[in-house]
Amino acid sequence: MQQDLIRNFCIIAHIDHGKSTLADRILQLTGAVTERDMREQILDSMDLERERGITIKAQAVRVFYTAADGQTYQLNLIDTPGHVDFSYEVSRSLAACEGALLVVDASQGIEAQTLANTYLAIEGDLELIPVLNKIDLPAAEPELHAGAVAELIGVDPSSVLRISAKTGDGVTEVLESIVDRIPPPHGDPDAPLRALIFDSVYDQYRGVVAFVRVFDGSFAKGDRLVAMQTGREVAADEVGVMTPTMLSTGRLAAGESGYLVTGLKAVGDLKVGDTLTVARRPAAAPLAGYREVKPMVFCGLFPLDADDYPDLRDALEKLSLNDASLQWEPETSQALGFGFRCGFLGLLHMDIVRERLEREYDLELLATTPTVEYQLTTTGGDELAVRSPVELPPPTNIDSIREPYVRCTILVPTDGVGAVMQLCQERRGQYVTMTPIEQRQQIVYDLPLAEIVTDFYDQLKSRTRGYASLDYELAGYRESPLVKLDILLAGEPVDALSMIVHKDLAYGRGKALVERLRATIPRQLFEVPIQAAVGGRIIARETIKARRKDVLAKCYGGDISRKRKLLERQKEGKKRMKQVGSVEVPQEAFLSVLTLGSSSDGNGARK
Amino acid sequence: MVRHLYVHLPFCASRCGYCGFVVEVGALDRRDAYLAAVRSELAAERDGLGSLETVYLGGGTPTLMRPARIAVLLDDLAPLLADGAEVSIEANPETVDAAAFAQLRRAGVTRVSLGAQSFQPALLGALDRQASPDQVRRAVACAQAEGFGSVSVDLLFGVPGQTAAQLDADLAEVLALAVDHISWYELEIKPETALARMGARLPDEDWAADAYESIVARLESAGYRWYETANFARPGRECRHSLAYWSARDYVGLGVGAVSTIDGVRRRNVAGLAAYLGQVGADGVPARATEALDAATRRRERWMLGLRLDRPLDTEWAGPPDHPEVIARLEAGGLLTAAAGRVALTRRGRFVQNAVLHELMEYA
Repeated sequence: MQQDLIRNFCIIAHIDHGKSTLADRILQLTGAVTERDMREQILDSMDLERERGITIKAQAVRVFYTAADGQTYQLNLIDTPGHVDFSYEVSRSLAACEGALLVVDASQGIEAQTLANTYLAIEGDLELIPVLNKIDLPAAEPELHAGAVAELIGVDPSSVLRISAKTGDGVTEVLESIVDRIPPPHGDPDAPLRALIFDSVYDQYRGVVAFVRVFDGSFAKGDRLVAMQTGREVAADEVGVMTPTMLSTGRLAAGESGYLVTGLKAVGDLKVGDTLTVARRPAAAPLAGYREVKPMVFCGLFPLDADDYPDLRDALEKLSLNDASLQWEPETSQALGFGFRCGFLGLLHMDIVRERLEREYDLELLATTPTVEYQLTTTGGDELAVRSPVELPPPTNIDSIREPYVRCTILVPTDGVGAVMQLCQERRGQYVTMTPIEQRQQIVYDLPLAEIVTDFYDQLKSRTRGYASLDYELAGYRESPLVKLDILLAGEPVDALSMIVHKDLAYGRGKALVERLRATIPRQLFEVPIQAAVGGRIIARETIKARRKDVLAKCYGGDISRKRKLLERQKEGKKRMKQVGSVEVPQEAFLSVLTLGSSSDGNGARK
Repeated sequence: MVRHLYVHLPFCASRCGYCGFVVEVGALDRRDAYLAAVRSELAAERDGLGSLETVYLGGGTPTLMRPARIAVLLDDLAPLLADGAEVSIEANPETVDAAAFAQLRRAGVTRVSLGAQSFQPALLGALDRQASPDQVRRAVACAQAEGFGSVSVDLLFGVPGQTAAQLDADLAEVLALAVDHISWYELEIKPETALARMGARLPDEDWAADAYESIVARLESAGYRWYETANFARPGRECRHSLAYWSARDYVGLGVGAVSTIDGVRRRNVAGLAAYLGQVGADGVPARATEALDAATRRRERWMLGLRLDRPLDTEWAGPPDHPEVIARLEAGGLLTAAAGRVALTRRGRFVQNAVLHELMEYA
């Protein structure tokens, strides 16, 4: 197809602001999905797709639209991942487009995450079409929000579309605007191939399926391709587009988006952001913007039942097939036994992986406190990367430690500003700026990533009654005076409870942690001291009391079996505890580390 | 041959709030039929019974059978009794008087165990007990006057709302009665009981420990031996039937829901009165659930039962613990003593017997 009849675009929206509904409506209006086939939220319904035998999530859907000018256009709607952890992936999806719909809920207004993605789009020089959705809602304030959206992207408020994706009202105008305002691609169709990989999925029958946007040249089924960053050779086993079902076209040309079946075995074999070219006629240089994705957050995952270790390994292997950013390696903890140290893009990614492991693979897991990757220089001048407190050398061997910082953008109603700033101060934040947006404030802080990987988000939500929204991006490493805080149970250090903290916070955190542990660990047969120590010096102590009474009250002939079975049930209950030396520690104890930053949160309950 | 016999007599006038036993309320018209069924079951079991050292008539409220029916049953048993056999009956204070005790005594009963539970009207109310403190005192006096070999009183502590002062008062009351034997249980709130349905909560560990410690101390200083977790006796007045359970001896249980343990097999009679009466019939055999006790289970039961007693556990008899390596630590911690094939809990160890048991044995 002629490039001037092609439009590649994506939708930027906060969760629940109507991205999926609008996508559905576009598919319906363009006839890609008939009325009878219409199901809610086609792009997001993985289960439904599986049921229908379409195992591939539609990352790029091609539809045809005959516009008011009488021309029929090829519209490629490219999906973007919806979370802060995946900002690099989002940036690659945006890079595949010439324009984007900026969808904002007419009753909620702009959220932090929308803001971040909007900035990414502006940086990527995308044409933005502002759209206020849900104007049919009684709480809609289209005038107010239209003004803010227009100001954000520097356009006239009258150019902001007002629609209801739910009723279909205004969606035709959206399609017309896509055709009118978003520029067509303008690659060189005769140049050597340059195709951007913006996503990939693993399918058990086809192997890795890559989603690509062709910038220059073209390729066809059967071509030998090369991924220019990694040098990996890729066979184009099948080439086509999603309509949204897979439709083999045999060829993709400059300006188009579609899929490529590679037969590769794991998504990690193809990197998002890499450039594909044809092996026998390679391009001179890859497309810009490629970056190696590195995990930012780490934690240990241990099976509650040691017998599940092989199952956990299998499950991680299977998840990795479809998740190139998940890293893991075996880890052994004195307290928790055999497990894996896993690396994640961010907090949400970590939660998703844990939840999938527990739900889809039926594993009971114990997760240690999330940490970040510290960089340190030893007194001998060696550079070390440390992802676990256990790896930290003794203080005398450390010359300096650097920790990752993130720039946090927080949008909050004006009355929540105090609470947010207090929270950021407690977490060693450094104030950057504050600017009003609509009736809210956009607060920017630089924070150590380590301070937000535990319960920062929960605290932010609870202290602002749910009104604050958060986005963050990596802002480099900074030197910090960090120390290792050890926790000793009955005199023995418990590796899974140790953590790396700023030296000024060590006393407060140590004290809070031993108090929390005393409240969480039940009485034991013998008295157990709980101590917090920094560099061998005890800074806080609590005591778990010894049990004073534990008897089965009555035991007569008729209930010997019952009493024995009661002991068996008690034993079953004990299995849910981790035996640390002679101390039985419930799982919650290992989680209590997570809530430590919340000094102003009296009871410390985790949301 | 089995030398210990339990007979379950399930009838009750009402169900107490904490009761989780097999009892029958409002079925007094079935007493004759029940007596006949138990006698028929006894006849069927007779060949397995040796000379009986102990008989225990438990309930329910056995005294609701009235002395005449008890006498018929004990007449059947008379030829089986060893010399000096202990024949116990449980009694609710409001169901017995001097005449009844005299009849029971003549019928062969040697030991009476009276359910007092408390002497505090408020606590008796919380437990749905029918007897007043006066009735308890009167019943104890009658039984003592009748000259039974042993009179015992049952009490409870840890009743929701119980205060330390109320516990002291119960201690003073029971000591004033000068009985031979006292069973003092901590209240358990079993599922399906009225207390559980009301959402009653047990006191915390420190309160219960204080209560338990003061009970043990006061009764010991009054000359009772703390011979089992919850049982206290003047020297020589221990309940021999209960000791048989705690020594893991074989026993036969007759009646609805009754349990027997014979040669490594435990069996439980059907629990419903109607089912029991319907099934016993002429052959005297009700439906029974059986459980074979393998060697490991028997060993774990022997430890579970044996550590309840104040006398040391003979490890040659009981078998080795699953985790012998913890003995040294428990001994160093002052919870038990071990020497020459004998293991005994220390005084402090007895208060945490259950936790010690979990260290030593693997219940799975």
